[in-house]
Amino acid sequence: MGAYIVKRLLQSILVLFGLSLLIFFIARVVPGDPARAALGNLATEEQVERLRAEMHLDKPFFVQYYYWLISVLHGDLGKSLYTQRPVTQDLVQFLPATLELMLFATLISLVVGQTMGVLSGYFRNSWFDGLFRVISYAGVATPPFVIAIFLLFIFSQLLGLAPGVGRLPITMAEPPRVTGFLLIDSLLAGRPDVTLVALKHMLLPAISLAIAHIAQEGRITRSSLIDVQQKDYILAHQVHGIRPTKVIFKYLLRPSIVPTVTVMGMDFAFLLSNAFLVEVVFMWPGFSRYAVNAMLSKDLNAIVAVVLVIGLTVALVNLLVDVTIAFLDPTVRIRRRGG
Amino acid sequence: MERNMESLVQVKGLSVGFRVFEGLLRVLDGISLRIGQGERVGLVGETGCGKTTTVKSILKVLPQPPAVIFGGEVLFRGKDVLRMGRRAVHQLRRSSVAAIFQDPLQALNPVFTVGTQLSDIVRDWAAGTGKRLSKKEIFRRCVEALAQTGMPDPERIMTCYPIQLSGGMRQRVCIAEALVRPVELLLADEPTTNLDVTIQDQILRKLDELVEEKGMSILLITHSLGVVMDLTERVYIMYAGTIVEEGKTEELFTNPKHPYTQGLLKSIPKLTGEGISQGIPGRIPNYLHPPSGCRFHPRCEHVMPICTQQKPPLTESEGVACHLYRGDVR
Amino acid sequence: MSSRKEAALAVWQARWKGLSRGWYRYSRNPLHVVGLVVLLLIGLAAGLAPYITPYPEHAGPYTNFREAGLPPSKAHWFGTDRVGRDVFTRVIFGYRFSLLLGIVVLSISVPIGVLFGLIAGYKRGSWIETVLMRVTDIFLSVPPLVLAMAVAAMLTPNLFNAMLAISISWWPWYSRLIYGMTVSLREQYFVRELELTGAGKLQILLREILPNCLGPLLTKVTLDMGFAILMGATLSFVGLGAQPPTPGLGTMVAEGAKRLPAEWWSTIFPALAIVVVILAFNLVGDGLRDVFAEEEV
Repeated sequence: MGAYIVKRLLQSILVLFGLSLLIFFIARVVPGDPARAALGNLATEEQVERLRAEMHLDKPFFVQYYYWLISVLHGDLGKSLYTQRPVTQDLVQFLPATLELMLFATLISLVVGQTMGVLSGYFRNSWFDGLFRVISYAGVATPPFVIAIFLLFIFSQLLGLAPGVGRLPITMAEPPRVTGFLLIDSLLAGRPDVTLVALKHMLLPAISLAIAHIAQEGRITRSSLIDVQQKDYILAHQVHGIRPTKVIFKYLLRPSIVPTVTVMGMDFAFLLSNAFLVEVVFMWPGFSRYAVNAMLSKDLNAIVAVVLVIGLTVALVNLLVDVTIAFLDPTVRIRRRGG
Repeated sequence: MERNMESLVQVKGLSVGFRVFEGLLRVLDGISLRIGQGERVGLVGETGCGKTTTVKSILKVLPQPPAVIFGGEVLFRGKDVLRMGRRAVHQLRRSSVAAIFQDPLQALNPVFTVGTQLSDIVRDWAAGTGKRLSKKEIFRRCVEALAQTGMPDPERIMTCYPIQLSGGMRQRVCIAEALVRPVELLLADEPTTNLDVTIQDQILRKLDELVEEKGMSILLITHSLGVVMDLTERVYIMYAGTIVEEGKTEELFTNPKHPYTQGLLKSIPKLTGEGISQGIPGRIPNYLHPPSGCRFHPRCEHVMPICTQQKPPLTESEGVACHLYRGDVR
Repeated sequence: MSSRKEAALAVWQARWKGLSRGWYRYSRNPLHVVGLVVLLLIGLAAGLAPYITPYPEHAGPYTNFREAGLPPSKAHWFGTDRVGRDVFTRVIFGYRFSLLLGIVVLSISVPIGVLFGLIAGYKRGSWIETVLMRVTDIFLSVPPLVLAMAVAAMLTPNLFNAMLAISISWWPWYSRLIYGMTVSLREQYFVRELELTGAGKLQILLREILPNCLGPLLTKVTLDMGFAILMGATLSFVGLGAQPPTPGLGTMVAEGAKRLPAEWWSTIFPALAIVVVILAFNLVGDGLRDVFAEEEV
């Protein structure tokens, strides 16, 4: 298993290398001058020239890329034109808010999605199953930013049940930053009341992110459960007199969730990109909103960094998924050990 | 002699259909059979004649829908399995009936070890009898059951996943699963169909020994006449969801009455080299629109007008369901 | 002569039978039929938008502040937006642009992806396969939306560049799909036999392998029309796609969202319009999947 993980990590590094090359290439071949685009029409010719030199845009493509690569290997992702700060510093500031939101959303989608998928698969063709199928159709078809706007509109603006945008009300001071995770920082600061408020603020954005995944993963679990239910071995377990609850919760569930886990890596990638929209709607001061702003202001260094961070995250999550599958499904484990 | 033997299982007039897209498949058409205490009974028929449906009905594991039970009863010690509640059915399965299925490659859960699957059976069986067995005791019983099937190195097999075992070994595991707890009846549904011929023989011999040793009843389902002749005392011949003939194995095979049974016996290739067997012309009918009257009539060489109109009953005295043997209509 | 006619007739009969069986399976789920009807209606409305909408001039840079922010009424079914344009008209025109985007994106990315997939799958084991599939991997290493946004950001934001950006991030999915199918089809007997009889590679690829990929391909294309539209709406929502006053559905949602909750209609109706079209494509795609699914017993 160890060797496998190392091999996968090396592959990921190669892919990320190719990805950075791709982004640089696209930036170079598209018509227009990135420096001019970044500074806007009001900047003088000298200012643009200076930026071109700073970004090595005046040199051939591979030289420009070489300079960038060297500085990346030194842990320097360049300066963001949008925030006027080193990109690494921006990432450190904005990533935790997004990670916190995504982990919360993943938790919701796992618990709710799996439960609903299992229930609707087990009680196939019941009213619950019908309801779940309708909801899941709508959930898959509704873009997350639409869900976000609907939720914000209904629960916050119309009914006043949930707080509005942001991580905390404007009137509430953030606890001293330790991890950047508000839930943890507020507890560390001894302010459980702030934790509660932060949790409330996180609820709507997290649900907006989770709904598509509840629908997607729930559907896969449902059909896989139905599939496994018809297998001879489930029949055999019943016939051998194993307790019905044990047959369901042990022997049926475990093989059923393998396909769901398989798609979870790709789903996480989609969760990441959906966070872009949800953070914009909820004005969440996170990495994704930073990324959108960097893109809108054509901030090349920040764009490359953002894409690479996402690529890295996706690669790590996929690796995690593979390890989990190997744990759940001995077939995979044995085959991998063999070859 | 078997007539006065106490019956363990009695299937009476069981009719089962499957609702599918095209309509209703009338698979089982009023079949009746009985298995006495400690008796070895065979059920023979071509693939697709409803053997497996019969077994699944006895175990009450037919998925409904699509299956529909129209009528009949399945009595186990006088109690109708088809009308039992969930609890009673569970109790029946864990302490009285065991089964071995056709395809050993499909009958084992791929994500749990052999040991996990076996020991859960023992644990839940013990819970049913009110006993509590120690982990060590459960492990010992599982290993013993595996060893009884002739499995080499049973302790190691306990830690294996099904994918690591060959077909023959998996079938031994399935047999061990069926016999790891004491039961009164074993339903063996083509237990060796998917195995190599050499292994088939070994496994059947082992099964035979174990059944003998534990004094249980067995219903052996197969399409192989040789197997039935070797292992059973009494046999039912099934054709297209009906029982066409019943009798002591030796008698029935030496003196088959039903035209289908006769054809079946003729179709066995002979080692004497008298040429290739004849077989029975035609094939098993479509269950959507089964033939009227006797379901065998379209393929029967002795077909009479009545055969197309009236379904012949299985007579007690002759043990055959054929108009040829009914004096009153002849 | 007559036998040839008969053969032709038999072919047509077989095709007709296949079609009617396909329709039978498709229509088994009434939702699939609903999806198809909705899709046809949307397509028709989008195609005829300039002729059937009540205020076709509202699709562009029209202003009439006296009628700004009116709630839904008989004259304006979906109300009017902040500069007095009819939201219903703009939604229908929005469909026009959305469908156009979906069609353009797929007609760029599907041929490229299919070609790459076929070649890579057929040249299994050679350096061509390695290069093509590694390039595909690089494109697939980030979610398509992120890649499309990054590309769109580097171009001038407008509808056409949004189409280009989405196409760039989309083709690898097709090359992966077709690659997988080609690899498995190549192993099958009928292809092997053809190879042994000395049939040309091109012939095998185009006449044997490609037709066998068509079912899943068509299903994916239909489902992807929905996703491409979703991505287009998303890009215009964040400002990287259609720019005002072009009535992109995403643009309209973004503009209207600033005026929630008071003028809810200028957001909610375009948003619902997006949901409806994507839902319809999903339903039809699922129906096609049922049609092409392996025969169930």
